Amino acid sequence: MNSMGQTFDRFLNTLAAWALALIWILPLAYAVWTAIHPAAYEARFELFAPLTYDNFVKAWEAAPFARYFLNTFILVTMILACQFFLCTLAAYAFARFEFPGRNVLFALVLLQLLVMPDILIVENYKTMRLLDLVDTIPAIALPYVASGFGIFLLRQTFKTIPKELDEAARIEGSSFLGVLWRVYIPLAKPTYLAYGLVSVSHHWNNFLWPLIVTNSVETRPVTVGLSVFSAIDSGIEWSVINAATLITSGPLLIAFLLFQRQFVQSFMRAGIK
Amino acid sequence: MLKSSFLKAVAATALTVSTWASAHAVDLQFYFPVAVGGSAAETIQELTAEYVAQNPDVNIDAVYAGSYQDTVAKAITASRGGNPPQLSVILSVDMFTLIDEDLIVSFDDYLTSEEDKEWLNGFYQAFMENSQTDGKTYGIPFQRSTPVLYWNKEAFKEAGLDPDVAPATWDEMVEFGKKLTKKDDSGNVTQWGVRIPSSGFPYWLFQGLAIENGVILANSEGNQTNFDDPKAVEALQYLVDLSTKYEVMAPGIIEWGATPKAFFEGQTAMMWTSTGNLTNVRDNAPFEFGVAMLPEKVQRGAPTGGGNFYLFKGGSDEQNQAAVDFVKWITAPEQSAKWTMATGYVAPRPETWETETMKQYVEGFPAVLVARDQLQYAKAELSTYQNQRVTGIFNDALAAAITGTKTPEEALKEAQQQADAILTEYR
Repeated sequence: MNSMGQTFDRFLNTLAAWALALIWILPLAYAVWTAIHPAAYEARFELFAPLTYDNFVKAWEAAPFARYFLNTFILVTMILACQFFLCTLAAYAFARFEFPGRNVLFALVLLQLLVMPDILIVENYKTMRLLDLVDTIPAIALPYVASGFGIFLLRQTFKTIPKELDEAARIEGSSFLGVLWRVYIPLAKPTYLAYGLVSVSHHWNNFLWPLIVTNSVETRPVTVGLSVFSAIDSGIEWSVINAATLITSGPLLIAFLLFQRQFVQSFMRAGIK
Repeated sequence: MLKSSFLKAVAATALTVSTWASAHAVDLQFYFPVAVGGSAAETIQELTAEYVAQNPDVNIDAVYAGSYQDTVAKAITASRGGNPPQLSVILSVDMFTLIDEDLIVSFDDYLTSEEDKEWLNGFYQAFMENSQTDGKTYGIPFQRSTPVLYWNKEAFKEAGLDPDVAPATWDEMVEFGKKLTKKDDSGNVTQWGVRIPSSGFPYWLFQGLAIENGVILANSEGNQTNFDDPKAVEALQYLVDLSTKYEVMAPGIIEWGATPKAFFEGQTAMMWTSTGNLTNVRDNAPFEFGVAMLPEKVQRGAPTGGGNFYLFKGGSDEQNQAAVDFVKWITAPEQSAKWTMATGYVAPRPETWETETMKQYVEGFPAVLVARDQLQYAKAELSTYQNQRVTGIFNDALAAAITGTKTPEEALKEAQQQADAILTEYR
């Protein structure tokens, strides 16, 4: 009876997992279907419909995607590098040092999590103009480099690392930064990986702020290229839009598939602690 | 970009005269949205480059700014951030919002000569309704459209109707629709009679019905709406009846973006949608189709739509004058014809239709004339102060009536009350 109950339970679990997975994959499957078939098959699903790569060619030619990809790549790398640097130092300070005003400062960092970045668009624009950075890639990146979420996540991780390891390293003569570099960072690797994934995918997909603060092809990311296809006045070409969507999200999808085991594991480990 | 500035540098060192010219060149920044597929962005860039080549004393940086909504967000942010563009194309209905935000200046200060005034009168009156208020001109029509009725001639033939005659009245549309609605053996509809999309911005096509029934939804000062006018209620009742009473249109909210596709696939025999779709329909409809004016109730009627040029605050007089000169050039017949053919927008000046290029285009594609001829009956698109909020309220009311959660009368009465509450401070 008990074992039968367990089998049934397991069956339900598997069923639910499959159902969720199907719902999740459907939009992607539809995107692939429309992208590789002529426009006439957008809503007709025939197994032997003719295949074509015209949609990809059309999409690629509709905007300077090569340059946009380079810009996006520079952008996400720049943001991630700065975030790792700043968040690590800040999190280390909050996790392991006593200094006056620490709690107030940390509360301020947490407060940042509650503020929607979109509200600050005008203020950020003013700052960028003051720094004479409008229409540059750093202007897109700067408002995001001091990430409250990153600081919080790393602080929590650093706090879980046994103090004994820290003390042992100190006795061996390691400096504060040496301890950070040799003890804390290596042990927090899964957190870095998980945070990196979230950050990269968020900034890869960010649209409004980059559109507003940049003006030229030399600085704009792929999402701006993608927006050319939202043609509400003239009828939407799903096949071309989906081809373009696959092109722009392709690198992320491939990266995720390649590293998915590491990602999932690091999320689990980062979460369990 | 780099290449062109390099060339400019070479030219500058070669010719002292051009050194002088480029040193005194006026710099303009110009934001434009793209709401039609294909190469609209390229066409604007090309036209701008052509103008700059002809006028070495002006530099224009044409900046693609996303959809209409993105463009207005970008223009407002840049203005507040102290870096406004000199010119931008933005929806004509955003005029009151931009005035309210104190971001734009009227064109009148830069159009002082008799000739200039003559030029201003050379636009179709229907397009100017959304461009002027309080006797001042804030917008110059550029990428403007209007909805029309498309019909599938083959489906008409099959239903025993004359394939060359579109319904001319509301009653005819119902009558034709009944003949065109086809059901399979189990009673499921395989082809609807008509499709009036209602997702996203239902107010636009509904406005067609309202104008046909003789009611204007907002005054030209942008501070008073007539949502609960009995004629508006009647128009909404007709729209609801198309699905519920006459059963010639699919029930519920009908997707705007999927409408042309449904027409191509034969899921509907007629559709109401923008003239911006003309090229799309011509290229993709696998059957012969016709284009007609929207049917009439007490009169013909349609709203206008699309974007105008706006002149932003913050530029020097020299910049503004240069911007106005550019607007004059790009709306001149030859450029305007090029733009119309590339995009499907309705050329906003009668003289454009007199050019040879345009005449040839019309000969090959007479359907484009329908939109032009409908302009004499067209009225301004719904636009008020606090436009986003007011049209939002109105859209919700329409959706409530279409989905049957409220009666048309209730829904419109509530919408009117809410709109009044917002607009009283502007009266």
